[in-house]
Amino acid sequence: MLKRKLSLLSTAAVISLGASLALPLSSAQAEDVTLKLVMASYTDDMLPYYTDLITRFEAANAGIKVDLDVVAWPEIGQKVKTLIASGQSPDIVNNDEFAGEAADGLLYPANKIVSAATLKDIIPAFRDNSKYNGVEYAVPDLASARAFFYNKTILKGAGVTKPPATWTELKAAAIKIKAKYPDVYPLGLPLGVEEGQAEFTVWGGGNGGRLYNAKTKKYTIDTKEYLETLTFLKGLVDSKLTQPNPGKTNRTDGAWSLFAKGKVAMVNGGVFLPDWLSKNGGEKIKWGASAFPHAPGKTDITLGVQDYFKGYKANGRETEIRKFLDFIFVPANYAGFLKAAGGFIPATKSAGKLAESDPIIGPYIKLLPKAIFYPGTVGSWSACKADIVTQMGTAMLNPKKALTNIQKKCDAANAG
Amino acid sequence: MSTKTFKKGSSFRSLPWIGPALLLIFIFVLWPVVELFLVSFREISVSGLIKGWAGTENYKALLDNSDLSGTLRRTAIWLVVVVTLTMALSLPLAQLMNANFRGRRFLRYSVIVPWAASLVITATSWKWILDPYFGIVTRIIVDLRIAEEPVDLLGDPRTSFIVLLAVGITVSLPFTSYVLLAGLQAIPKEIMEASLVDGASAWKGYWAITFPLLRPAFLVAAVINSVYVFNSFPIIWVMTKGGPAYETDTTTTFAYKVAFRDQDIGQSASLAVGNFFVILIFIMLFLKLSKWKELDQR
Repeated sequence: MLKRKLSLLSTAAVISLGASLALPLSSAQAEDVTLKLVMASYTDDMLPYYTDLITRFEAANAGIKVDLDVVAWPEIGQKVKTLIASGQSPDIVNNDEFAGEAADGLLYPANKIVSAATLKDIIPAFRDNSKYNGVEYAVPDLASARAFFYNKTILKGAGVTKPPATWTELKAAAIKIKAKYPDVYPLGLPLGVEEGQAEFTVWGGGNGGRLYNAKTKKYTIDTKEYLETLTFLKGLVDSKLTQPNPGKTNRTDGAWSLFAKGKVAMVNGGVFLPDWLSKNGGEKIKWGASAFPHAPGKTDITLGVQDYFKGYKANGRETEIRKFLDFIFVPANYAGFLKAAGGFIPATKSAGKLAESDPIIGPYIKLLPKAIFYPGTVGSWSACKADIVTQMGTAMLNPKKALTNIQKKCDAANAG
Repeated sequence: MSTKTFKKGSSFRSLPWIGPALLLIFIFVLWPVVELFLVSFREISVSGLIKGWAGTENYKALLDNSDLSGTLRRTAIWLVVVVTLTMALSLPLAQLMNANFRGRRFLRYSVIVPWAASLVITATSWKWILDPYFGIVTRIIVDLRIAEEPVDLLGDPRTSFIVLLAVGITVSLPFTSYVLLAGLQAIPKEIMEASLVDGASAWKGYWAITFPLLRPAFLVAAVINSVYVFNSFPIIWVMTKGGPAYETDTTTTFAYKVAFRDQDIGQSASLAVGNFFVILIFIMLFLKLSKWKELDQR
């Protein structure tokens, strides 16, 4: 047995020796270039998608090797920062922030990392959200929009005939639901660290609150609009019309899980929620989706979120980056990307046309004109977002204090 | 004469033997500390780029941080309460483990098992025990009609820190009680017996004889415990992530949050420098105590 292992080893050694002798001959003119990729894991399908894509890319582009890292959302920001700080800059990253890196001069402008044709196909509204100081530094890869999801069975059973359109109707509906089904939480309110900033932006947006004023270049968070919003939500929490611990509840393992079990009647969801429900035990829930309830006298909004592909200058791989990104945006490859990511809004006009007729994604594309976006073009946004998320933990106990703290920390990040 | 030359050359001659160890200490112990100090005086951008020297800006930003004072207060409470109660509970526990009775082996095992488990596993178990929807504690509270609705002890800032303190004490007990048990076993039985013959009550004998003899073990356990508890990251991080908001942060978790949520590496490093000095004080205290213990035993 041992002998056989040894002989196997020596065979392997001979083969590898042969290979190392043979290699310089076959690629005598050009050294292999390695592209380092750090990509967000939208779903578990991303890794197989990239593996297949890279095999085909390497076959078509001799001399370019691709080193792939697919990273979960909670870790990716930190991973990229660590790589940059330790001098191992990646070449391509796909995640949700770019302005801080653009401000530091780490990124190629968008027109260097994709061809003019690819760039022209990207939806203009998304391109506007990819600019820092007027220059595009990132290429939008996809987007999402939110909607207000409700459990049709519970609403009907409680005598709520149409989904609530205003805060007043929302509270009335919640009281009816609570009276009829005592063990159901009428509203799921996930202010926890996963997506606290989304809840804050959506509910505040429905009262006219906007996070950032582009004219004064200041965050506008400690405002009347947001204080009214948090006070309204606190009212719901105090009347036990939400789950008991909003400050600690995360979106996926908290609010959505309860919604999938029929324990929460209404929740902030997105274009990707139906897909998630079908895979996480919520396939029997009869859900409906509508516009977010807004404050009386205000208008409804939705939250648009877009993510980016970015090319990093540190290793000087401009040409290879462009080849790879153009390859992803080949319509068939891009369709595969969207499919693997699981039900998002396409960033290209060509794919967007096809998606308009999709029964689930189509309605969201129509919602986009009403969308407000995070101030992702501001360099300090990622730090400010993190602080909103942290402070949401106690926002339902003391709204004013939370807002004051957020404003203070975001201002400090904005100044430094 | 000859002994003198031998002594002189010996430090150089021993270099090949201690050299590798010195090198390792320099690379893995001293250099990171130097690096930490450097970072605390550097300006580092949100994307992790070193932009230059910041002077004392990071320290100023830290002192200006509105959540620092609460964190310092909680760290002090965390340290004092966990260490004091751990020591107070460990004394009788060690005494019990030292007593001769049926099931003593079982008791000793049951105390050592939580210590053998990783802190992350212990903390995760507690997190699930206290879960508002699926946890056993919630179930008991609701079934006994203490509360109508599920309660989230970790999600409410009025209760979360108290729960963490309790778990902190639970995980510190095994180490402490075993150190004390070792101390107890080193005390000759005859002394205690002699005191009983002389008519001292068990209680008086304990305070007049056992406890003074146990003092060296007690002090060492207290100092080592303080270092562990002060540095404790996994319990708080796994159970609450220092939340809700900053309501259960101690300096270690706060430093992590400043670095990776607020994305201010420099400010976080300046806090870590402070932590470093606190630990240094504990270590010096420990060295002093262990030397004092050596003298005591001579």
